[in-house]
Amino acid sequence: MAHLQVSGVVKRFGKQTVVDGLDFAVERGELVSLLGPSGCGKTTLLRMIAGLVHADEGGIALAGRELASVPSHRRNVSVVFQSYALFPHLSVRENVAFGLRARGVIASEAAARVDDVLALVRMQAFADGAVTQLSGGQQQRVAVARALVVQPDLLLLDEPFSALDRKLRETMQIELKSLLKARGMTAVFVTHDQDEALTVSDRIAVMNAGRIEQFTDPGTLYAKPATAFALDFVGLSTRLTGQVTQFESGRITVATATGELRANASFTRGSKVLLGVRPERIRIGAGGTEDNTLQVAITDVVPLGARTHLYARAADGDRLLCELPGTADMTETRPGDMVTLHWPMSDTLVYPATV
Amino acid sequence: MTAIRRIDGFAWLAAPALVYLGVLYAVPLALLLFKSLSTAGTFPSFAGYAEFFGDDFHLNILWRTLRVALLVTGLSLLVAYPTAFVLARARGVVQTIILVAMVLPLAVGVVVKTFAWSILFRSDGLLNKMLMGLGIADEPVRMLFTETALVIAAANIFLPFMVLPIYAVVRQLDPRLVEAAATLGATPLHAFFRVVVPLTLPGVVAGAAFVFSMAVSMYVIPSLIVGERSQTMAMLIARSYLFLRDEQLGSSMSAILLVIAVAVVLGSSALIRRLGGGRT
Repeated sequence: MAHLQVSGVVKRFGKQTVVDGLDFAVERGELVSLLGPSGCGKTTLLRMIAGLVHADEGGIALAGRELASVPSHRRNVSVVFQSYALFPHLSVRENVAFGLRARGVIASEAAARVDDVLALVRMQAFADGAVTQLSGGQQQRVAVARALVVQPDLLLLDEPFSALDRKLRETMQIELKSLLKARGMTAVFVTHDQDEALTVSDRIAVMNAGRIEQFTDPGTLYAKPATAFALDFVGLSTRLTGQVTQFESGRITVATATGELRANASFTRGSKVLLGVRPERIRIGAGGTEDNTLQVAITDVVPLGARTHLYARAADGDRLLCELPGTADMTETRPGDMVTLHWPMSDTLVYPATV
Repeated sequence: MTAIRRIDGFAWLAAPALVYLGVLYAVPLALLLFKSLSTAGTFPSFAGYAEFFGDDFHLNILWRTLRVALLVTGLSLLVAYPTAFVLARARGVVQTIILVAMVLPLAVGVVVKTFAWSILFRSDGLLNKMLMGLGIADEPVRMLFTETALVIAAANIFLPFMVLPIYAVVRQLDPRLVEAAATLGATPLHAFFRVVVPLTLPGVVAGAAFVFSMAVSMYVIPSLIVGERSQTMAMLIARSYLFLRDEQLGSSMSAILLVIAVAVVLGSSALIRRLGGGRT
């Protein structure tokens, strides 16, 4: 049995079902992200695991122990809150020592453990200061130290980086990941930020409308999104809708308004499908027989430093996005140019079209 | 430079209040203090204070006044603290109802409310009828003219002044802090005493200062509930002015009461600053 096992959990607020029969398992020492838009139920799931909200149905087990009747303060699950929720009336050291005092750890041992963990997050210099005087990044370190010092079976982090500015956020993500890995900590991050999820996690669970759409490693999630939602939510993509005109030995031909495209998939003739392709798979020029090829007009060239985005419009108005390595002046394409784009047929992702 | 000029500009806004309080409040107060320190034309003279502190009768009244004020403060705190949490957590109509129930009685007037209490406490009053009807008491229990009745009535009348400052602090209290305490292994009791109480203490101190300074100087409520039988400082002051015509004793006692009230206000605001020091 997995370290954390969530089975068939349902949570309703009034008439609204926020978490809808969700199954979820995390192995010991794993760093996992719950990734989804706001309102997808990810924070509610986290709060149920912490014991701050009761599940209406289903079970949650941690380290082989069923948690349903265990109150928050006996679960040994620490939480780093989005707002950090540091105690404003206590010093940095007292904040970190709070959990040890609550558990009745003797003062001398508690002091040693607090010093250790403050050194770990490089906050010893601020130990006797007020938490209200700290910057956002420093507050986050204290919140992490406070959560780790009690040696929890599971660490939950609710959007822990959202209050930090972009540059600091990336540094803190890498730092926190290596710190948690070094301690062998099992952790679940809740986030709506795909970059954060890709940076910190071993596995990512994409959540939508109270369910998990896909739960896999970051590489697979990007290369092979299981659902149209996962394709849309993680990374950039070009999406075209069409109707299957031909199905033969694991290969379909789809008529889109832009032209005929082929993909490796199994769909019956006449099915409406959604085709997706990652922008960095698309190249300029005529492709070979194993490629999909389209004629388009370039509408915009966006320089992004090391990469360049080309926005293109096909005859009927479908928009395509193509990402090229290198700076904008290295591509000799200008808005208004008519170009041919191609990408490997095997890189074409296919989903049943909704509606 | 700009900051200083800005403060100067705004300082003029305080002028009406300063003139009003200066002419109508500070000057009479200074006259009162002057009067307490002069005997038959000689100044300074401590005869008034000597008269007060030299008489056990007066000291007993001072002690009783302080005791009643403390009991009133304690009782209203006991009732107000949980009420403030209910008020802060309530939403919509419920919150409006509680707030109106808190504030509306302030518009009724102390005399009316005190009379209401004296009707309840009378020997043929509602409380006694209930006690006898239920067979708890065989004959009317004397409630009116007791210190207990005074404390109960006063605590009720001053309750809004305790609830509202605590409510203001509780409303600011981040519920995440209590959750954080729970996930760190704190029992609800531990979280309450280590997190909730320290963070709501400024509101408690402010409310206690309000209620105590009102209770220590109350006149109408003890006059109507206990009457002459058991006097308080304010009643004694009125008596020395109106009946004894001893203006020096009256002004000395007024000064003593004033010192107590000022000490409570200054002490509590210093305490709030210290408690709130870390959380700007």
